[in-house]
Amino acid sequence: MRRKLLLIASSILLLAACESYDCTLYNHVGCYGAFDREGVAVQISDTLTITAGKNGPTLLNRSVGTASLNLPLSYWQDEDTLVFTIKGEDYLIQDTVWITKTNQVHYESPDCPTTLFHEIQNVRSTHTFIKSITVIRSSVNYELTTNLQIHLLSASN
Amino acid sequence: MNLPQTCRFTCFLLLISLTCTSLQAQEPQQKKEKAPLLSGVAVSADLVGFAMKAVGAKFANMEVAARIGFRDKYFPIAELGIGDCHREGGETGNTFSTTSPYMRFGMDYNFNRKHNGNRLFGMVRYGFSSFKYDIGNDSFSDPVYGTTGPLKLNGEKATGQWLEFGVGVETKLWSFIRLGWSMRYKFRLALKTPDEGKPYFIPGFGKNDSNGWGGTVNVIFDVGQSIIKKKQKKEDNK
Repeated sequence: MRRKLLLIASSILLLAACESYDCTLYNHVGCYGAFDREGVAVQISDTLTITAGKNGPTLLNRSVGTASLNLPLSYWQDEDTLVFTIKGEDYLIQDTVWITKTNQVHYESPDCPTTLFHEIQNVRSTHTFIKSITVIRSSVNYELTTNLQIHLLSASN
Repeated sequence: MNLPQTCRFTCFLLLISLTCTSLQAQEPQQKKEKAPLLSGVAVSADLVGFAMKAVGAKFANMEVAARIGFRDKYFPIAELGIGDCHREGGETGNTFSTTSPYMRFGMDYNFNRKHNGNRLFGMVRYGFSSFKYDIGNDSFSDPVYGTTGPLKLNGEKATGQWLEFGVGVETKLWSFIRLGWSMRYKFRLALKTPDEGKPYFIPGFGKNDSNGWGGTVNVIFDVGQSIIKKKQKKEDNK
């Protein structure tokens, strides 16, 4: 009886002494985008580079055969300016995309990294090769689903 | 309930069953005695919370309680306390702090049929806390855009409700002073929080989780006992 009680007491103490951190395993917040041309999913075969503004950090560097995007949004700005640059053998074309959003702190615990979730309010762009952009899901959080559908101009344009 | 939580709960059930078995074994030796209807009024303080605060633990629940005893068997009880937590994540720099009140109401049931001053309790509690907390990070930075600045969210409001089931023992130390010990398993019933962030700690409950363990070591002042005894003596003399 005493041994049983001792065993139970020590196992309770051991379990109570353990501390676990239940942080979200996949904690990347990204704005997911996909390309299409006239409703058909396409990939950009030439080199695509995306920067935050003209002199900001590079968000996507010389990607080839790009069919989808995963872009980090700024933590605190109300509007992000993204410059899409496509470089071919003998040409370089650019479009600018403006994403207006709200930012909300997402705090889990002192031991887990804090991040920000966003709610996309509006998206507009120039039209060199982008025809229009549709917001499919405005919430930008841990979910891995498409936020923006980027419709490209048809090849004849 | 995940595996460690299941293990904890199993240990808890084992402890209860072993305790009950030992009680049943003692039953034949005990005489049936009748305790007075009002068998005591007591106030108590939990030493664990104050000790945790004194040694600088991550959090502490400092509480006092008041209870009434009926027939030395039923003890309705109210526990009032202050939950205190100041925590900084080692790697993240995130901080969490709160100092807020909480309350619990419930009942203790004394399994010991012999009225010898020793009590073995089964207990149930409903706990509630409406509290404010601060979260922050002094050097919060955007890893891509490179901006760094303090993150401060002060006065976030939340409410938590929970249930506790447990066992406890209590014995007479001297005159009206008693010492008690209890162990409780807690189930969170509800937690309302703002969207910005969940609290790390719920005052009275402990670390924010769906369930958890708690314990108390109480110094109890059985202030009503002497009055009741005096009354009984007077009645006996008449």
